[in-house]
Amino acid sequence: MPPVEAMDSIHWNEAGQLEVLAFELAGETFAVEAAGVQEILDLLPETVVPGASPLVASVINFRGRIIPLADLRLAFGMARTEANRDSRIVVIAVDRGGEEVLVGLKADRVHEVTTLERNSSEEPPVIGMRWRRELVRGLVRREAGLVVLPDIHAVFAPTSSGSTPPGASAPPIH
Amino acid sequence: MTASILTVDDSASLRMAIRIALSGAGYQVYEAADGVEGLAKAEATRFDLIVTDLNMPRMDGLSMIRELRKRPAQAGVPIIFLTTESDGEMKAEARAAGATGWLVKPFVPDQLVKIAKKVLGR
Amino acid sequence: MSGDDPVAAFRVEAGELLDQVEQGLLDLGHQLGDMDLVNAVFRGLHTLKGSGAMFGFEALAEFTHHCEGAFDKVRKGQVTATHELIAVVLSAQDHMRALIDGGRGLDTAGDAILTRLDAALGAAEETALDTSIKNADRAGWKLSFRLPANAMTNGINPLVLLDELRELGEARIIARTDRVPDFAELVPTECHIGWDVTLMTDAPKSAIEDVFIFVMDDMELTIEPLATDEVPQSGAAEQTIAAQGPVTKPEPGEGSGPLAHAAKARAGESVRVPAERLDALMDRVGELVIAQSRLAQIAGGGTDLALRSVSEEIERLAGEMRDATMVLRMVPVASLFGRFRRLIHDLARETSKSIELVTEGEATEVDKTIVERLFDPLVHIVRNSCDHGLEPPAERAALGKSETGTVKLSARQAGGDVLITVCDDGRGIDRERVRAKAEAQGLILPSQQLGDGELFQLIFHPGFSTAAQVTNLSGRGVGMDVVKRTVEGLRGRIDVASRPGEGSTITLSIPLTLAIIDGLLVRVGTDRFVVPLAAVEECLELSLEEDMRSRGRSVITLRDRLVPFLRLRELFETGTRPDPFQKIVVVGIGAERVGLVVDQIIGNHQTVIKPMSALHRNVATFTGATILGDGGVALILDIGQLVAVGQAQEERLRAAG
Repeated sequence: MPPVEAMDSIHWNEAGQLEVLAFELAGETFAVEAAGVQEILDLLPETVVPGASPLVASVINFRGRIIPLADLRLAFGMARTEANRDSRIVVIAVDRGGEEVLVGLKADRVHEVTTLERNSSEEPPVIGMRWRRELVRGLVRREAGLVVLPDIHAVFAPTSSGSTPPGASAPPIH
Repeated sequence: MTASILTVDDSASLRMAIRIALSGAGYQVYEAADGVEGLAKAEATRFDLIVTDLNMPRMDGLSMIRELRKRPAQAGVPIIFLTTESDGEMKAEARAAGATGWLVKPFVPDQLVKIAKKVLGR
Repeated sequence: MSGDDPVAAFRVEAGELLDQVEQGLLDLGHQLGDMDLVNAVFRGLHTLKGSGAMFGFEALAEFTHHCEGAFDKVRKGQVTATHELIAVVLSAQDHMRALIDGGRGLDTAGDAILTRLDAALGAAEETALDTSIKNADRAGWKLSFRLPANAMTNGINPLVLLDELRELGEARIIARTDRVPDFAELVPTECHIGWDVTLMTDAPKSAIEDVFIFVMDDMELTIEPLATDEVPQSGAAEQTIAAQGPVTKPEPGEGSGPLAHAAKARAGESVRVPAERLDALMDRVGELVIAQSRLAQIAGGGTDLALRSVSEEIERLAGEMRDATMVLRMVPVASLFGRFRRLIHDLARETSKSIELVTEGEATEVDKTIVERLFDPLVHIVRNSCDHGLEPPAERAALGKSETGTVKLSARQAGGDVLITVCDDGRGIDRERVRAKAEAQGLILPSQQLGDGELFQLIFHPGFSTAAQVTNLSGRGVGMDVVKRTVEGLRGRIDVASRPGEGSTITLSIPLTLAIIDGLLVRVGTDRFVVPLAAVEECLELSLEEDMRSRGRSVITLRDRLVPFLRLRELFETGTRPDPFQKIVVVGIGAERVGLVVDQIIGNHQTVIKPMSALHRNVATFTGATILGDGGVALILDIGQLVAVGQAQEERLRAAG
């Protein structure tokens, strides 16, 4: 069992389960809490915002609202992949200092909503992970492989949306 | 079941007076010192009636009423506001915000109890 | 607070209240016409009376009632405040304190004060007419009512209202379901049922109105006397049917009691509309404008002349509707300025200075939201002027200035902007000290040449103004950067001017409206951008030849003036090649100009401004974004920011020789 304190940012239900939407990005599987997902969209025309941080380099028109489109690959120092037939945009609500902000996340492919088990989860290792530890809330092992639960709040926190793309330096020992 | 009433007012003495009047009439009374506290308490428990002042620090009564009415769980909860002015504008504004009714300060305890009974029907 | 004893708590609060009333009265003695003070005194007395009654201080309530009444008359302009009146109420105050302390045997003293009060008022009490008219032939009332649709959401329980009617007498209640919508459209939380009630009672009409007191203004209600022969016999079935007959709808304007009449009288002059409804209207107009631009695009792309003519007609209507809606949101700045009288008065007392407030252009109209949001920044600026700008009277006298300092608040419209100016005749901003401070903080280099305008902008730098008292705009911990941010949030800007010994002038330029602007749509690389049309001075062609010639330099000669220009393609790093015929859009703010080199000018565009996401707020070049007719997004250029970039670039070039 993982230490409880370290995992308390994940809202497991009483049965130790978490409903998530899993999606693929550059070969990795990420998952965000299903409750925060607003909508899954086909690709939309992007408008580049000159001068914006590379993480949120463009905006899209989401039902009359103009929302940033984020590429988590930039936060996790992963290689860009070309858009394909399965590419989607996952619109999620992020709490940013008490203000709810809608953000579109690029995904290479979106899986259905699944349930993760707390028993199979572990906290991110202190060393040896290829990403900045503070951006990952936990890892969950499944038959199909490892699922990464990114810390969306940390990724979009006012300090980390600056101009330096985070996470590029950690050595890959996975 | 005893009806529960939340009183929101920044004046401690007025809160006390309201509590004494309403609990004397058999209601269960809870207190909050401003809109922020009122909102938090109302979200935690659904009250049968909320009695609120309008002029308060941190969050005034109008804002609190608007916030409460935004929440589907608070639909239908009667909200009475206390106002010093018998001014129609303030009443119109508070009603537009979603208030149920008002009581003009100064009032005597009986008036408050009467209003509570009127709105709650008990 | 003293434990659970409300009476003790009341004594403390009442004491504080009386202190405030006393202060108000003393101030009023210096400014007899100050209605803010009159109102403050009135409110204090009113509250004291009310809470006194609530806590069992009847003698106090009764006594205070007379003083409150006197000030109510002053408040309503029936009586003017006099020194004698103030003196009497001041002595009445001491009496109130005695009553609060529980003194006994004070009646004689109290009566003497009240006699003086009456004399001071000098006007006989008007006896209110007893408007209640007895109706001897009445057997009861026939009423018909419908509640507003949102009544239940807002906490009104119709069943409770019906119970309350039943308490007045025997009631026959029939529900009318004629306006209940189809099930598919039914919103379960809304109230669509109407009721007809025959009420046998000798209670007056006002008792029925009291039942509906909280919803009276929004509901349909008719109350008619029931003739004796209409009284239904107890238990008679026919009577029920008779009461079900055709329901008379309330005639418009036919009131139900005094409230309705008052509302009607007001309606002739103006209509009060909750701000949210205006906002909702503005949103709809915004969507209409977007839909219209889509229609225009479709019509313009085809050959259907009829379609094109309809599209143009709708374009005209949408534009007019936009303007009409915008006007609805405009309010005069008088309401904003009015709030400063008290502030200046307080500041004068706090700082022991003599300050006069002069206002100008109060009829200038601005968007309501702007008025609300400008109050705090203006308070900061005015406070700073009074605190640090104006010299103490003795110093002013020594300088040969009038001992009374002047703070002038003025407003005027200039093109699409409204200019709000705070001007004082104090000592002005100490240029050298601002410079020294900025250098010490590393904001500028010692060698850097700065004009006054630029130098004074530094006081808006975060952390600058909260430091030690350097300029008349610093101190108090009030960050001028907050002021600047608020103003920029309104798409406005701040200019500072100062003359040593003569005073400083701070000008806020704010766009008249927030929601929709006329824009010029341009293309840079593959993306489209909006330039606010109000800032556009002219559009020129930049031939390839000229472009080549100007390489390395970035100024053009415009009617004998050198104007810096920015190649947006380069600024935005589009990575695209320039179009063969680029355009220069010359934009300006105040006296500053800058040319923006774009690839193509697409045309005029009604721009509905949408805010940038919180994640993009650190991007300074854009004030917002808009949705285009084809569903794409165009960013709106921040002209103030681009002009600043252009000026900086020009100075760099000049410095480089």
